[in-house]
Amino acid sequence: MIEFHRVSKVYEVGPVKVPALADVSFRIGKGEFVVVSGPSGAGKTTLLRLLYGEEPPTEGDVEVLGQPIARLSRSRIQTLRRSVGVVFQDAKLLPGRTVYENIAFVLRVTGTPRREITARAFDALRAVGLSSRAQAYPAQLSQGEAQRAALARAIVRKQPLLIADEPTGNLDEEMAAEVLAIIKDIWARGTTVILATHQARLAAALGRRKLVLEGGRLVKDEGG
Amino acid sequence: MIGFLLGEALRDLRRAGRVAASAIVLISLSLVAVGAFWVLSFNLGRAVTEWRERVRVIVYLRREVPPAEVPALLRRVAALPDVASARYVSKAEALASLKRVLGKDAAVAEQLPSNPLPASIEVTPTAAGATPGAAHALIERLASLPEAEEVAGGVEWVERLAQWQRLLATIGLGIGGVLALAAILTVTTSTTLVLHFRREETEIMRLVGAPEIAVRLPLLLQGLVQGLVGAGLALAVLLAGHRLAAPRLEPLINLTVGLPSLDFLTPPAMLTILCAGAVLGAFGGMLARGRRAAT
Repeated sequence: MIEFHRVSKVYEVGPVKVPALADVSFRIGKGEFVVVSGPSGAGKTTLLRLLYGEEPPTEGDVEVLGQPIARLSRSRIQTLRRSVGVVFQDAKLLPGRTVYENIAFVLRVTGTPRREITARAFDALRAVGLSSRAQAYPAQLSQGEAQRAALARAIVRKQPLLIADEPTGNLDEEMAAEVLAIIKDIWARGTTVILATHQARLAAALGRRKLVLEGGRLVKDEGG
Repeated sequence: MIGFLLGEALRDLRRAGRVAASAIVLISLSLVAVGAFWVLSFNLGRAVTEWRERVRVIVYLRREVPPAEVPALLRRVAALPDVASARYVSKAEALASLKRVLGKDAAVAEQLPSNPLPASIEVTPTAAGATPGAAHALIERLASLPEAEEVAGGVEWVERLAQWQRLLATIGLGIGGVLALAAILTVTTSTTLVLHFRREETEIMRLVGAPEIAVRLPLLLQGLVQGLVGAGLALAVLLAGHRLAAPRLEPLINLTVGLPSLDFLTPPAMLTILCAGAVLGAFGGMLARGRRAAT
């Protein structure tokens, strides 16, 4: 499903070159739950950005859902992204829209037939236990609820791949546990999950395959 | 999806608030300027056309031509370049015409010992012959006829009217063009502002793989709506202005250029103004998109 082959990524800031990933190779099969861990600045976010085509690799090949990211046109990357759900540390909900509207927005802009939108949005809200808060605005949600809404948005198109970048980074322990339980539930229904975290305890607790990055290098691939 | 994207465009317009309203006002102003000069130019054009059709060149003859020779003379004149038609006016007809013009004073003509008026040929030039250069050449050709005593007639003043018409159209386009440029820049500014407001939406749209058209179309539609609203307002202002001004101006126009009425723009012209507004707005929206892409 996903393959990194000798991938390096260097950011150029003016004349300065900042290496973010160096010679990283791994494969992830369909239905796996992979935790990408490492300290801040290890290259976790860069690795995830390469996965959803936000950045091209400087060297090496990245293949996602059978598509070579570096060789895809802008429109093909957009098409690929329709199969990838992404959640971030901050929920990135649109403040002027209700929870339901935030989720329906994704369906509308990706061309889902109008008659299917309500049913699919509520399916996603039920999956994250948030259907009772459908008409609430983001400002009225707790951080845990906001992150659950973001998860609902990430799975509303029944994407086969979910990428979560520090999804519990802003949450207290109880809320983090709730969100992780939902992510595990999404994975149990067949979605491939790649979750990045700098919290070593959390990575250990998830007990799945772990990719450990340090200084942009993959130093450990265990549990696969 | 178009309905949704149009809804997004309207939502963005509300967000842009005063800047969007300014853009609409500027589009209206530019189109009112163009439209007002268009109305004037259009009516002057009508007058020019009417006067061109009335242009006549009169060839005064040395002597009355015997009736049997008139058809041959008229055929010779009609065969000259730039002559549409020719009509013979005998001395008697000329006197009768004078009496009609004198009306109740026609008795003055009765006092004359003999008819002093010459016979003449009334020549109507073709449209091509009704320009100053062509009319001058025609007058020279007519003057060289052996029967001609004197040739009178000219079209310079009609041409001056046509020059005024062209000048008005140019001024209208000039003022309208400057205002249109300002309108485009204002639409661009309002759309850029909207781009700033909707950066979160745009980020989410790109993240979830929305097609590029879903990202860009609302900007274009937003400009288009501003342009159409501006053009609609401009037409309303022009129509109201015409309703108010036409009855007051018509006597003056009748007296000066001989037009019985001051007409409003034709439906195709109104459609052109609406389309111009839409194009102005959409162009402004597209420019904002270009700025965004560049950054």
